[in-house]
Amino acid sequence: MTQILIQGLLLSGLYALIAIGFTMIFSVGRVLNLAYGAYLMLGGYTYFWVAQTMHMPKPIGIAAAIGIGALAGVAMHRLIVRPLHSDPVAVEISTLILAVIIQAGIVLVFNDAPKVLHPIVDGVWRVGGATVTFNILTATVASWVILFALYHFVRKTHVGRAISAVSMDIKGAALSGVNPDRINMITWAISGALGAIAGVFFASYTQLSPSMWVSPLIIAVAVVIVGGIGSIIGTLIVAHIIGFMEIISTTLIAAELRGVFTMLLIIVVLVLLPRGLFGRGEL
Amino acid sequence: MTLLEIERLSAFYGRAQSLHEVSLSVGKGEVVAVIGTNGAGKSTLMDSIMGMVTNTGAMRLEGQDIIGRSPAEIVRHGVGYAPERAHLFPFMTVEDNLLVGGYTAREDIDRNIAHVHELFPVLKERARQETATLSGGERQMVSIGRALMTSPRLLLVDEPTIGLSPKVVAEIAATLRRLNEESGLTILIAEQNINFAMELAGTVHVLETGHMRISGTPQELMADEELNRAYFGT
Ligand SMILES: Nc1ncnc2c1ncn2[C@@H]1O[C@H](COP(=O)(O)OP(=O)(O)OP(=O)(O)O)[C@@H](O)[C@H]1O
Ligand SMILES: [Mg+2]
Repeated sequence: MTQILIQGLLLSGLYALIAIGFTMIFSVGRVLNLAYGAYLMLGGYTYFWVAQTMHMPKPIGIAAAIGIGALAGVAMHRLIVRPLHSDPVAVEISTLILAVIIQAGIVLVFNDAPKVLHPIVDGVWRVGGATVTFNILTATVASWVILFALYHFVRKTHVGRAISAVSMDIKGAALSGVNPDRINMITWAISGALGAIAGVFFASYTQLSPSMWVSPLIIAVAVVIVGGIGSIIGTLIVAHIIGFMEIISTTLIAAELRGVFTMLLIIVVLVLLPRGLFGRGEL
Repeated sequence: MTLLEIERLSAFYGRAQSLHEVSLSVGKGEVVAVIGTNGAGKSTLMDSIMGMVTNTGAMRLEGQDIIGRSPAEIVRHGVGYAPERAHLFPFMTVEDNLLVGGYTAREDIDRNIAHVHELFPVLKERARQETATLSGGERQMVSIGRALMTSPRLLLVDEPTIGLSPKVVAEIAATLRRLNEESGLTILIAEQNINFAMELAGTVHVLETGHMRISGTPQELMADEELNRAYFGT
């Protein structure tokens, strides 16, 4: 029981971090970025290359991952989303293709053997009957800190509020002097950075592989569809629903079920509650 | 002194043309109204001034050419806009809506918020309420308030009275008059509510299916028999 509670909380924190960058793009630009999982992969591999291949300090690896993620986000906005005028279907097809291309690129550069990241923080912690690695604990705490910081950024800064404003009413934002295109680009940069940092933690929790972009993408899609929203609080709530559902099903039923219930949940919500649990798309 | 000068302005939505060579000018410190029935092109004119429509012709703000500029640039040039249907941010509080309005005029935020609260005390009481849950009148006040947060020299107001009770309409009229008289703010109003427009404006323009039909003082227009029959039902 304690095991489930602890594992559930840890996993859910990470899932919230994975999902938030994806939901931001959805709420601001009204498009699903299906290459979002590729940010996690780019972040994970960048960290691997800097910290483990080049033996540079871990913080530099994390900073490099964030930088690459932000750059990838801006590039996608400039080269795909803007030329396509944010047409949802065209953007979704292009980003899905892009994800496959990035996967091929990763195989080319790093080959397709899975790689294990050394823990970012070593050690374990025993509580009750459960053991928790410091690595996953760090990932969860970092996720909470990042989400908290993001929440404050969106509420309390001019650019953050402008991001919300664009997500709620583009015309209203424009006549307030906000340039929606610029705000979109900034959001793509933030989303890429968030995806990349989530990728470092996710890879250290599982492993690095050229197909690692799929399962985080499913988690992120599930959060958007189940939550129907891009609010940061809503993302946290839905991430916990999905995280706990996964831990409960894998520990109590069978480990092979990882991910299955999440996908089933997507379909059930699509059929029964097409607008999601909360029914709004704004940040 | 002319603040806004519009010459032979045409507006296009794709192939459809919604304004045909419309000209008008707004002097500093004036209140000017544009009246016309549904689809006459009033909102198109307002959106054109904000750089939100494809236009040909000339538009100058204090002598500076503003045609083809982005809305953000027009706002920085000193134009505040309370559009039709308000376009507020529904899941943000009243206060946050006003703060987004202050996106460009950041140094003036404290002063502007105090000014808006003084004009519309109810917005201070409702500062923490989401605008989705406000009444129509309160929403209109937030809309005008948000436009004032840009520190405008010219305020555009599109149909501020639509769907509002006479009491609230009178309140908004009083506030706009006060803004003009006390702060010297120049105001351009688009209205179907002829009485409201005639009461506030020194100059009134009549738009008809995208053409400027006639312009004059309220007295001059009242004296026009044909116009009277068409617009005032007398
Ligand atoms: N986004 C748009 N796309 C295409 N046509 C438009 C668009 N907006 C307005 N129009 C057309 O332009 C013309 C003028 O519309 P506009 O909204 O400016 O009129 P209005 O005078 O503001 O009317 P109302 O009093 O009903 O608000 C109409 O024929 C309308 O159909
Ligand atoms: Mg209109």
